[in-house]
Amino acid sequence: MTVSKKIVLIGHFGVGKTSLIRRFVENTFSEDYKVTIGVHISKKTIAIPEGEQISLIIWDLEGQDDIKKTRPSYLLGTNGFIYVFDLSRPVTFQNLDSELSFLKENYSNIPVKVVGNKMDLVNKVYLKEHHTIFEPHVDYFVSAKTGSKVEKLFSKLAEALI
Amino acid sequence: MNQDEKLNMIKDILLTDEREFVSAIEKKIKILENTVNKKENLSIKVDPIIETKLKEFVKEIPVTLGPTITEALKTEIKNSQDAVVDALYPILGKMIKRYIQHEMKLLSEKINNQVNKTFSFKRFFRRAKSKASGVSESELILQEQTNAKIEQIIIIEKGSGLLLAEYSKNKMADEDMVAGMLTAIKSFVEDAFQKENQNLQYIEYDLYHIHIQNFSSFYIAVVVSGAYNVIFKDQLEDKIFEFANKEKIVKHLKNKSLLSKKIKDFFKNDSI
Repeated sequence: MTVSKKIVLIGHFGVGKTSLIRRFVENTFSEDYKVTIGVHISKKTIAIPEGEQISLIIWDLEGQDDIKKTRPSYLLGTNGFIYVFDLSRPVTFQNLDSELSFLKENYSNIPVKVVGNKMDLVNKVYLKEHHTIFEPHVDYFVSAKTGSKVEKLFSKLAEALI
Repeated sequence: MNQDEKLNMIKDILLTDEREFVSAIEKKIKILENTVNKKENLSIKVDPIIETKLKEFVKEIPVTLGPTITEALKTEIKNSQDAVVDALYPILGKMIKRYIQHEMKLLSEKINNQVNKTFSFKRFFRRAKSKASGVSESELILQEQTNAKIEQIIIIEKGSGLLLAEYSKNKMADEDMVAGMLTAIKSFVEDAFQKENQNLQYIEYDLYHIHIQNFSSFYIAVVVSGAYNVIFKDQLEDKIFEFANKEKIVKHLKNKSLLSKKIKDFFKNDSI
């Protein structure tokens, strides 16, 4: 049996939300940056360990520098969130605490995966330097460009939804 | 035998072979001259060779010249897009105009035929219907010509935009994505106008009309082709309410396959 779940990707402009989805759904990557306007919807069906299939309906929202500006109606009925920030641009993770608190307060029972994208642009020393910000929140360091841990991110979230 | 005769005899003995050889060559040269200089003779020999070569050339064009020609055409079209559009525009315009004229002519003939059948029962009923509904008789005739047809019915969960059930005669776009996008558009419009208890009820897209009927936890989107007018809208609304009540769809919202079957059975005739 196939069940459908709504996944919403949120985060600042240009952090790579669309690229992550393209890597996961189409296994492609492009360096060209095209800003997402409004919302774009994709779908991918994956098998989960319980032997069932799960159809992920992925909502790619336009980037916002403040999560409170996101249109609330787009977030209605969400089954899982992926909060994306750009590891190479501190401005996209400097308010990580307040952004994630907002999600916890308003969507308390909904699983959230926090990911730092563009892992290919930073090194271990850099990660250590920002250790205090990343450690309490981040679930995965991923790279849409190389594909590193992208599949794992979505499949782990899918498992959490069943 | 004098001296000359002896000499001739020796010549004959010594040169007979050469003479025969020379005369054979002369003959061959004459034949060759004849072949080369006379067009019809030359064409008998050369034509089959040219023909074979041409056939080979034509056969090889797609492989050898094809990519070059395609590339050249692509570049040319890319570099002079405006010129291409300018060249095609009048032709396309004329074709469309001619097609519409033709279709209008056919339509007008059909309407004339119908109107001329003065004593038909159909006309009597149409007139009565026109008087009762306030819709002109000609509009009713037009409606008969382009009857609205249900192409797809989708039941969508409000908020999440997840697909609850679907029925379509011909496989259209991915129904999960359509459900999501419709919900996103609906949310955007409803947010933008910020009026309480107002819902998006209708979207028009090219040849299709998307009728949206809202319920408390879900909404039903019906993709309609053909003439979607007030009468059809009313009938469709009634039919959807009847479906929702009769089939108790609220109880089956979690059962996609059963709900999809119910839509199929209820709307299979697409007569509203």
